[in-house]
Amino acid sequence: MGILEKITRNVDNRYWDPGVGAFPVKNRYTAGVAGQRFFEKIKEDGNIIGTRCEACEITYVPARLYCERCFKRLEEKDWVDVGTEGIIHSFTVVHKTLEGETKEKPTLLAAIQFADGMLIHRMGECKEEEVYIGMKVTAHFKAKPKRKGGINDIDYFKPL
Amino acid sequence: MSKRVAIVGIGCSGFRTTSTDLSYREMIFEAATKCYEDAGGIHPQSIDSFVASSEDFMEGISIADEYVPDQLGAVLKPVQSIAGDSLQGLASALMQIKTGQQSIVATSAFSKVSNLSHYEKVAAYATDPAYIRPLKEHPYFIAGLEMNRYLHESFSTREQCARVVMKNRYNALSNPRAVYGAKVTLEDVTCAEPVSEPLGQFDISGHLDGAIVILLASEEKALEMTANPVWIKGVGWATDTPNLDSRREGLGGALYAKLAADKAYEMANIKSPVNEIDFAEIDDTFSYKELQHLEALQMCGFGEAGKLLEMGCFEPGGDLPVNVSGGSLGAGYLHEANGLQKVMETALQLRGEAGKNQLAGVETGLAFAWRGIPTATGTAVVLSNRL
Repeated sequence: MGILEKITRNVDNRYWDPGVGAFPVKNRYTAGVAGQRFFEKIKEDGNIIGTRCEACEITYVPARLYCERCFKRLEEKDWVDVGTEGIIHSFTVVHKTLEGETKEKPTLLAAIQFADGMLIHRMGECKEEEVYIGMKVTAHFKAKPKRKGGINDIDYFKPL
Repeated sequence: MSKRVAIVGIGCSGFRTTSTDLSYREMIFEAATKCYEDAGGIHPQSIDSFVASSEDFMEGISIADEYVPDQLGAVLKPVQSIAGDSLQGLASALMQIKTGQQSIVATSAFSKVSNLSHYEKVAAYATDPAYIRPLKEHPYFIAGLEMNRYLHESFSTREQCARVVMKNRYNALSNPRAVYGAKVTLEDVTCAEPVSEPLGQFDISGHLDGAIVILLASEEKALEMTANPVWIKGVGWATDTPNLDSRREGLGGALYAKLAADKAYEMANIKSPVNEIDFAEIDDTFSYKELQHLEALQMCGFGEAGKLLEMGCFEPGGDLPVNVSGGSLGAGYLHEANGLQKVMETALQLRGEAGKNQLAGVETGLAFAWRGIPTATGTAVVLSNRL
């Protein structure tokens, strides 16, 4: 059955036992020299930093250790403060959870431009219909004791 | 390096939304059996080399490349796996022949996505672990951001995106290999359940199981093996940065598609794509992608695709038929096998074997695949029934 003849009844089908097929993936990820410094700045100072490649005239946000255009390693002098205010490059209203279920309350997400880079994050303190491309927004950080050194140390962005 | 290469065999297994009978390896065996028969009944012993495209997770086996040979008849033969879209696999097979290393090469791809209990989590695991994944959002939010930005920059409309869905799912009604054929109204799409606005449920191509095997041969072998070879005139591929924050054209562009097509057109000696290409099977993973890709592939100017669509240019009877097979929206989304699906449909048209969907007098077709969220990788292939 299966190649010469087709199986037409679901009950005749065989699945791989899900107990055998489960694949629990647990691993760590190294944020890297640039990622570590970027997140530490958010955690300690509530500020956003990038790195600038003078040759390409590009400021990366989040910060990078190298320029992906000219392949140059970025130096200590190339670190720049880009502040906490950005401009919405695009936004979307997310209605599905990571499990594919419909959310009770949809999430407003935005890609926010800082210098030549972007951060993707939640929007808060504003309604869906108020958001537009080009809107100026500012980061709302978690209280300092609650920050852990990650992207979620920023709670959300809000209109300026 | 001037060797010409043709498609001499095509076979597929499926396509369906679930497949609880055959394993993925049995599906590939079925597709390979059909492909080799299509190529005049060649035995795999006479095939020089094999290229399989896939990605772990779908197989449910680590180091899945070791599980490639038997279902293709490739045991103790040269075998290569490509972790990417199957058009990249096709390009690799092409190069093996062009360099003179091999004369006949089989290339395979499959989707068995119905075996995954949480596709969303697999896709989310492909996003940046430091900056994106901790947001714990459904990965299609990236498509929502891209669509909103593309519509903003191109002045294309949400309704034009919906018309892509209407066209492709209608085309699929006449394609026996397409699963998602339907008569869809504008309201069906625009009023559908939102996923990541402006992207709705019906703007997203539905998942599909299936396998495709395509056999390539050098000019000399091709002319011996088949009366209707389909020649691979050009191929190109490109990958933009994986970082969503530093893409050259922001989130609204598809520069990877332009660069892939530039290379493929150059190799195929195509100077004016819009005049020299008769029809196209291009990525429409999401509705807006068809419009965005048409512009990046230089099938029209930037911001023109939506208006040309409304004028009927991309219908089967239009100036440039696009996704006559139904595309991914109408035929279904085959993950890394998408590229071979587009090549298969393009090649069948060029052979005159596209059944009710057959276009009259076509000589040159374009197949283009995108690797999906969150990638910025595209591969373009120009095919022709003229040497």
